[in-house]
Amino acid sequence: MDLQIKNISKNYNGNSLYRDFNIKFSEGIITCILGPSGCGKTTLLNIIGKVICPDSGSLTGFDEKLISYIFQEPRLLPWKTVKGNIEFVLSRNLSAGERKAQAERLIRLVELEGFANYYPSQLSGGMRQRVSIARAFACPSDIILMDEPLSGLDIALKQNMIRWFSQIWKSDRRTVIFVTHDVDEALFLGNEIVVLSQAPARIVAHENINEPAGNRDIEEPHLKKLKQILLNALGQFD
Amino acid sequence: MKFFFTKKQYISFASVAVMLIVWKILATYFDSDFIVPQPEDTFLTVIKLFGDGGFILVAGTTILRGVIGFIVSGVLGMGIGILAGISPGFNAFINPMLVSIRSTPVIALILLALIWFSPDVVPVFIAMLTMFPFICTNVVDGIRSVDNGLIEMARFYRVGTSRIISEVYIPAIMPFIISGASSAMGIGWRAIIIGEVLSQPQYGIGTSMQSAQTFLNVEAVIAWTLIAVLISYGFEKIIRWSERKIVMWKV
Repeated sequence: MDLQIKNISKNYNGNSLYRDFNIKFSEGIITCILGPSGCGKTTLLNIIGKVICPDSGSLTGFDEKLISYIFQEPRLLPWKTVKGNIEFVLSRNLSAGERKAQAERLIRLVELEGFANYYPSQLSGGMRQRVSIARAFACPSDIILMDEPLSGLDIALKQNMIRWFSQIWKSDRRTVIFVTHDVDEALFLGNEIVVLSQAPARIVAHENINEPAGNRDIEEPHLKKLKQILLNALGQFD
Repeated sequence: MKFFFTKKQYISFASVAVMLIVWKILATYFDSDFIVPQPEDTFLTVIKLFGDGGFILVAGTTILRGVIGFIVSGVLGMGIGILAGISPGFNAFINPMLVSIRSTPVIALILLALIWFSPDVVPVFIAMLTMFPFICTNVVDGIRSVDNGLIEMARFYRVGTSRIISEVYIPAIMPFIISGASSAMGIGWRAIIIGEVLSQPQYGIGTSMQSAQTFLNVEAVIAWTLIAVLISYGFEKIIRWSERKIVMWKV
């Protein structure tokens, strides 16, 4: 069954963010939601994560799903080590040994083996964000929601993060819903790219990229053309 | 084991030396054991006190009172502080009480406690009342400083409330509790000894100081004072040591 959001409406502080809004997500791919700042992208993730309720409308297909998150900031507990932070989100139904094994597996995947017992304050910004990626994949979730996890990072770090993320994702293809206002990020990671208008949000463009994420060159002609399309879609509403 | 001293420690030694020199000058100037005894005589008295059979009982009883007062005010302070930190309404309710307790002169509390309680309970009660507001206020500040993003993260990941309290809130307020405990202890020892001087329980540093004063034994008064300072210093060290152990993650 597809993941669907049907006819949702949401007002926030008197602003209508969504009015009879519909969107469908395919499972097992990365969907990028691209939109100008303040159009309600984070609100949409919060609705999907059931942290806030829409005023009306319904979600289908999300009920049984476990969800994990990658936030804009890593949001690691400063008093827990890298391993402790990852184990923190794992279900208590797992035994301590299973939690430890799972945390260690993910730490290996993001190549932080030597740092399992380090505290976040002892890591660089990029390493901390890698821990938050590891945490999201360690949780046995069906869907990963990402709220602008790359904004605020410099270009080199951003490329690095995209590489890490796509590398893990290739071996563990979960449904990813990735929200951003940066066209390049969408081009690097998205299988589907949905462009939203200013609030109340409407879908103003819907594009697909077939090459796998992680080894794309956004200077290639067809991606450059796509970038122009996306910028135009965004630009009309800036 | 080798000892190394930093520049700061040398300066601290110099400060202690200056105090001793001033003491020595005053003692020589007054030239009377009834006014300012010689520092070396006083230190001898301290050593004699340590050797005395009753010393453990006297100092131990005062320390026990301090520890009981500290534990009771710690538990109360944390419980009420956590509630007040989470609920602004409860905080508004409890705040005037804390302010009243804190601004009431300690001596007024002691005079009332003397009427209400037996001599052994008075110092503990006073210690509790002076320490509790510090711990409580610090816990409230600690709870307020907890990063909402972390709570949100834990909720997003469906971490249960009891684990959010024990693994997010409590560690986050630990540094605040420790700094509250340190100020509380500092003021608590003084309150306990004043309480003992006035209520005269059977054993206690305050009781011993009071009887030494009655016999104009200034040496012993100062000697007990030094012991009280040492106890206070020792507990401060324990708190700082546990801070380093508990708040290791802070760099």
